[in-house]
Amino acid sequence: MARTLMRFTGVGGQGVLLAGEIFAAAKIATGGHGLKTATYTSQVRGGATVVDITLDEKEIYYPYANDGEIDFMLSVADVSYQQFKGGVQEGGTIVIEPNLVHPTEEDRKKWNIVEIPIITIAKEEVGNVITQSVVALAIANTFLNAVDKKVLIDTMLSKVPAKVHDINLVAYDLGEKYAKEKGA
Amino acid sequence: MSATREVISTGNELSAIAAVDAGCMFFGGYPLTPSSEVMHVISDLLPKVGGASIQMEDEIAGICAVIGASMSGVRALTATSGPGISLKAENLGLAQMAEVPLVCVNVMRGGPSTGLPTRVSQGDVAQAKNPSHGDYRSITLCAGNLAECYTETVRAFNLADRFMQPVFVLLDETLGHMHGKAMLPTVEEVKEGIVLRKKFDGPADEYFPYECGPTEPAVLNPMFGGYRYHFTGLHHDKNGFPTEEIETCRKLIQRLDDKVTAHVDELESYEEFMCDDAEILIIAYGSVSLAAKEAIRHLRADGIKAGLFRPITLWPSPEAKIKEYTDKIKDVLVVELNIGQYMDEVQRASGRLDLKGLYKVNGRPISPYEIVNEVKEVF
Repeated sequence: MARTLMRFTGVGGQGVLLAGEIFAAAKIATGGHGLKTATYTSQVRGGATVVDITLDEKEIYYPYANDGEIDFMLSVADVSYQQFKGGVQEGGTIVIEPNLVHPTEEDRKKWNIVEIPIITIAKEEVGNVITQSVVALAIANTFLNAVDKKVLIDTMLSKVPAKVHDINLVAYDLGEKYAKEKGA
Repeated sequence: MSATREVISTGNELSAIAAVDAGCMFFGGYPLTPSSEVMHVISDLLPKVGGASIQMEDEIAGICAVIGASMSGVRALTATSGPGISLKAENLGLAQMAEVPLVCVNVMRGGPSTGLPTRVSQGDVAQAKNPSHGDYRSITLCAGNLAECYTETVRAFNLADRFMQPVFVLLDETLGHMHGKAMLPTVEEVKEGIVLRKKFDGPADEYFPYECGPTEPAVLNPMFGGYRYHFTGLHHDKNGFPTEEIETCRKLIQRLDDKVTAHVDELESYEEFMCDDAEILIIAYGSVSLAAKEAIRHLRADGIKAGLFRPITLWPSPEAKIKEYTDKIKDVLVVELNIGQYMDEVQRASGRLDLKGLYKVNGRPISPYEIVNEVKEVF
């Protein structure tokens, strides 16, 4: 499989970093290569945050996604969506939290924009807003099939405390379900 | 060192783990983005091995605590970024003058002043050469990938004890925060490779810490261990007491320089990437070398024979190797996240003023495509 480039964007404090670490670790567990970088601003809360995830069978040197090559982006904040959408290749998929991100009509023509209320799902259906990164993880992998699902879930469980394994599994299942409903 | 152990981590975390594996027992510092995770991680690790980590009231106190710890005989670390080095500068000079071994990890961010705290830069390369006033030779190592955040920190501790002076490990924001796989030597191998500072074990009245060969470092026994000497930033005699005696002063400063320059073979370290048949040479270090390697893959796919020369020990520079390459290859591009701080050194070492430079100072990384485009445009 060729290189997979993903970008998760939000604002500082939303916890979009963890999903990137899980993806990279899961890809490495399958014998491949994975890198995650996070770029953020000096604001403690509210600054645009972007996490780039590069997965490849070959060694990866440069850890950032090159603009125009990103296969998949997920965004839970408008400020970062507007700032970083340009990196996604034409026809690429952008999953947005529709309550918070507002794409233009032109955006909808250029990219496959998919609306999934990630934060609402985490908050109301799973019952814990922190699980949004696992909902996002499931959505991204359901669209991209970038890493073996079982390896990804095992890696995810290894990175969260045992007492929250159950709700994170629920979060993963819900993310997968919504992604499939939206054509993944 | 071998590379047999797979660890998934960030550069900052690897640097902290390396310090502990290398026998570091003390950390003193002040949290500064983008280096803070070094302190977070080592603060967790050191108490578990009987060591101590202290968040001091500021950067200056951080380096002073490290100097004190080192004088007691233990390996000691501080970590910061450019603005912190500026504050620590006076006491880094003290450590040079009094010959106190310590390691200082600098995770570079945009400057000058507070600059761009969360953004990547290589703006501290010139600062690392001369952070403090006066004459001395900086030893500065620069990690170019995740594994080297570990191995260069280990090497820094051994060099600090060998040369009895501060050793810098330069990371940058990209390396410090990127998260991925690193192949590392085993902890046993690291422990076997530890060479501690020399110790005098003769009679106390025959101990003169600063009486040593013209190219050798001082031999500082741990303080409060029965061997008495004076410790000062002033020019000093063999006992460490201040002196203005002409020859003693000259010899001391000459020795601070010579103890490094006479042993560059012990310090030199670099990587040659696809250089064998290269017709275009890229010189880059730190995280920029990652973009350069990716660029070389693209250039070679287009039939352009490019290679990378990457200094790992930045100071003293691998000047003979730079000269060798720049004598052989006409088209040379130096790529840096500053405005040519290392270009100055490459020009000096090569004796050439016609080298090309690609620089960036807006806090953003240089992408592989920017390097590809520059190579195609200027050569």
